[in-house]
Amino acid sequence: MATTLLPDEFESGVASRTGSGEGRLRGLHRAFAPLIAVRGLPRWLFWTGATITLFFVVLAVFAPEIAPYGFNQYIAHGIRFPQQASPSGAHWLGTTVVSEDVYSRVIFGARTSIEVVVLALMFSVVIGVPLGLVSGYFGGWLDRLLVLINDSIFAFPYLLLAIVIAFLLSTSVGGGVLTAAIAITVVYIPQYFRVVRNTVLSVREEPYVEAGRALGAKPRTVIRRYVFANVVHSVPVVASLNAADAILTLAGLSFLGIGMDPSVAAEWGYDISRGVSDAQAGFWWTGLFPGLAVILLVTGLTLVGEGINDTFNPLLRRPNHRRFAMPKDVREVTTVAVETEHAVVRVRDLRVWYATDRGPVRAVDGVSFEIQERETLGLVGESGSGKSTLGRGIMGLLPVGAIRDGSVDFEGRDLVKATPQEMRRLRGPSIGLVFQEPMTRLDPLMRISDHFAEALHTHEPDISDAEIRRRSLEALGGVRIPPTRFRNYPYEFSGGMRQRIMIALALVLKPRFVIADEPTTALDVLVEAQILSIIADLKNNFDTALLLITHNLGIVAESCDRVAVMYAGRIVEQGAVVDIFSRPEHPYTQELMRSTISLSTRKLHYIPGAPPDLVAPPSGCRFHPRCPYAMEVCRAKEPVGVEVRPSHLAECWLHGPENEIPPDGRRPLEREEIGIADEA
Amino acid sequence: MSSSKGSLRGYIITRLILVIPMVFILLTLVFLLMRVAPGNPILAALGGHLSPAQLAVRERIGGYDKSLIVQYGEYLKQVVTGHLGTTLTDHRPLTQVIAQNGAATLELTVAAMFVALIVGVPLGMLAGRRRDSWLDTGARVFGIVIYAAPVFFLGLLAQLLFGHILNWLPTSSESGVLVQANLTPHTNILIIDAMIDGQWGDIPDLLAHLVLPAATLGLVISGVILRLVRVNVIQTMKGDYIEAARARGLKERSVVVRHAFRNALVPIVTVTGLQAALLLSGAVLTEETFNWPGIGSELIFYLEARDYIAVQGIITVFALAVVAISLLIDLINAWIDPRVRY
Ligand SMILES: Nc1ncnc2c1ncn2[C@@H]1O[C@H](COP(=O)(O)OP(=O)(O)O)[C@@H](O)[C@H]1O
Ligand code: SF4
Ligand SMILES: [Mg+2]
Repeated sequence: MATTLLPDEFESGVASRTGSGEGRLRGLHRAFAPLIAVRGLPRWLFWTGATITLFFVVLAVFAPEIAPYGFNQYIAHGIRFPQQASPSGAHWLGTTVVSEDVYSRVIFGARTSIEVVVLALMFSVVIGVPLGLVSGYFGGWLDRLLVLINDSIFAFPYLLLAIVIAFLLSTSVGGGVLTAAIAITVVYIPQYFRVVRNTVLSVREEPYVEAGRALGAKPRTVIRRYVFANVVHSVPVVASLNAADAILTLAGLSFLGIGMDPSVAAEWGYDISRGVSDAQAGFWWTGLFPGLAVILLVTGLTLVGEGINDTFNPLLRRPNHRRFAMPKDVREVTTVAVETEHAVVRVRDLRVWYATDRGPVRAVDGVSFEIQERETLGLVGESGSGKSTLGRGIMGLLPVGAIRDGSVDFEGRDLVKATPQEMRRLRGPSIGLVFQEPMTRLDPLMRISDHFAEALHTHEPDISDAEIRRRSLEALGGVRIPPTRFRNYPYEFSGGMRQRIMIALALVLKPRFVIADEPTTALDVLVEAQILSIIADLKNNFDTALLLITHNLGIVAESCDRVAVMYAGRIVEQGAVVDIFSRPEHPYTQELMRSTISLSTRKLHYIPGAPPDLVAPPSGCRFHPRCPYAMEVCRAKEPVGVEVRPSHLAECWLHGPENEIPPDGRRPLEREEIGIADEA
Repeated sequence: MSSSKGSLRGYIITRLILVIPMVFILLTLVFLLMRVAPGNPILAALGGHLSPAQLAVRERIGGYDKSLIVQYGEYLKQVVTGHLGTTLTDHRPLTQVIAQNGAATLELTVAAMFVALIVGVPLGMLAGRRRDSWLDTGARVFGIVIYAAPVFFLGLLAQLLFGHILNWLPTSSESGVLVQANLTPHTNILIIDAMIDGQWGDIPDLLAHLVLPAATLGLVISGVILRLVRVNVIQTMKGDYIEAARARGLKERSVVVRHAFRNALVPIVTVTGLQAALLLSGAVLTEETFNWPGIGSELIFYLEARDYIAVQGIITVFALAVVAISLLIDLINAWIDPRVRY
């Protein structure tokens, strides 16, 4: 059976890399290197498929040498073979009604199938690829017409098309390999056309092609490389899946007795059709073996295509996580927090590590802090410092393989030890989360009203419909969304409105603790002010504790009571906003403040050096490779939290404690050592 | 922002207008395909049976003495007016062929699709949810191998097992001889006809005949559905709104069913629609295997008789069916996804 088996996302998922300028062969070699390196299921799929396919190719090429008899031979050494003999030593797979050897017919059937498929693929590539290039490159009415024709052929039942063409050809030129191949070709041209055309279209819009054009470079050269790089991955997938389909189509044609002349070559489908009547008389072997051959070869080809696709399609690619446990010695180090009186949450030594194929990412690596009722704690730091991970770690919303350690005390229970079921019940009514990107956080197929009803129903099963409506409209009113919009779909709202809806959706459950992860980063400045004033209202109206994650110090100054500064998975400084803004004590905080002095940008300016790799963070103080004050001790020992002023903590050797700094520890770090560490 | 009902109607109208070029192109393809045939159809079908004078008369009636462009115009007119002519070999009006045999094909394909969904959707969802478990691997291998099996070979195995060895089910035709003679055609879909006339006793026989062909074709297609559902559930499970739903404490079941699966449904329905070609092609082979009196086996019959008028008529019907299915699919999607209408 034909029509493509390509997963729907295939075309969009094709890797979009530019080709190398080197020779085609080296390019090819490099393009497929990941197939050798890939592990797990894709590798298994690919190699099983490749082995099966190779086996049949060998059968096809050496059919006359391997098969004991000819495909329609019924006599040897003057002795006629028995009719419909069951499998035996003389005829391994038995004989047919006209005394042919089934084993030999299966082998020659492989030859016929491979011949037809190779021809058909060659024809469809030779016709489909240039058509796709022309259509995509020139565009305009030609493109539109070709696409329309192409889509029509593609939608049409391929077998009917093949049947009619094969029939017409066989009445004029006779049945055979060529006739069958041409009939099948027509079916597959559209698929190559589509892949190539879409690749060309997407590359035409690439910025660097346009840029190249502006600089006078020949766009054709760029397109050629890019198209090559993409087609080199997509055509083999299309081709192997098409080959699988083509074999089924060929078998279907022959089963119907169309296209292949049975006196010219052996064909599996034809043998199965004879097998149908044989089977009813009890001769099961004549149809069984050709049928199994079809299944095996088609499976092999499909596996090859799936294996390539799994390997190269970034959407299907799955990281090869290595499981790990948190080392004991890491867990013993304790961090300190500024202690508060009416704490809603008390986080102690929280660590959240992700599993990756490079080893654990220490995204949050031992942090402690507390938040009180009606208090807003700002969490700032460069992107990648672990802020979102911290928020999700508290909520227990982590990907498979991630590990948490430490404790999160919330209403008398430790969230780190809570069961998934307990965590689920807490999410929403006790702890709310507002995300950074509002555009994609609402289910596009659900009305706003259904989002509210679903959330309320989950946590308050007995709630009435009237109550749902009342409470939802109240929450929406609080974020200034009018009741008339209650039954609208998400796509009918702007980004700012969606973020307000997300906030209302979190607040409708009246959580005691809300984590807002950069709630305004994706929005423009005016909307940002709106959202911030809504958030400010929130803690006054409820007794909510708020963790406000941001990388915008302006927001911290406006909306937060206290602030914690995060660097490379650690909270390096925490204290009251006024205190820290007037006298930052940690060199990283000082850099941050310096870079935000200019209020016009309102964004963090670039601090020299790169944020560290959290798989292998720098030894000692993680900031030492970038720190202007770095000392010997900074590289050797992890700094500990020191109360520089009441309720103001900093993790930095500049502030001691003196008794833990070794004698020569205060010597400045050598410059080139900084350079090396920076590179690492 | 108009109300969603109004825009749904607007969408349907736009979509209907878009059908016209597709129909036109498909019909043109069918016409060209049939005219590529060397010689003329009358001679091919009836040459040797009639005298040259008779043949000439028939050619004139068929319009084959006119220029291609005139014939093309007449063909389009035939399709638009619904007068597809009469078969050359046995003088059946094509409308009758379509009504009778088309109904059998409809019954088979709908039943097969039902089987495919019942098997493919739950397996695909499970596999997608438990990615890389043994269940996932098993489901994937099942999907690949079942799709690799020619439908007529599966049919052969099913006939062997359930028909000849176990002797549980009929392996041929749409009904028992007596049942067939008993029924008055209303819709030509025998099961429905039996229901209309209240002949409930005939239903088990009709269902028994339907089981093997529908299950065979359905299983092959379930392989495709399974893979589709799996891939799309995996995709949608990565969605931002899934994480947001979890952050609201929804139960994993609702997250998967109400959010992930529903969102996966749009691409699933779309691609299932593209598999109409697979379904109809598979139907032709299934009908041949089980002697199912559908329009596919009629096609093969008339093809062998070189009755090009009949072949052209039947192919035309298939082309129109493809358009109808793609229209249906788009409407279903518009119903599921408000953004489509918009
Ligand atoms: N799912 C994940 N798997 C592996 N690493 C991750 C994952 N999510 C985030 N990380 C890594 O963890 C670190 C912290 O990320 P994140 O918490 O998003 O930082 P922030 O929110 O401060 O920008 C980064 O180095 C990031 O690459
Ligand atoms: S501990 Fe040392 S390297 Fe780290 S911030 Fe303080 S002075 Fe800089
Ligand atoms: Mg973040």
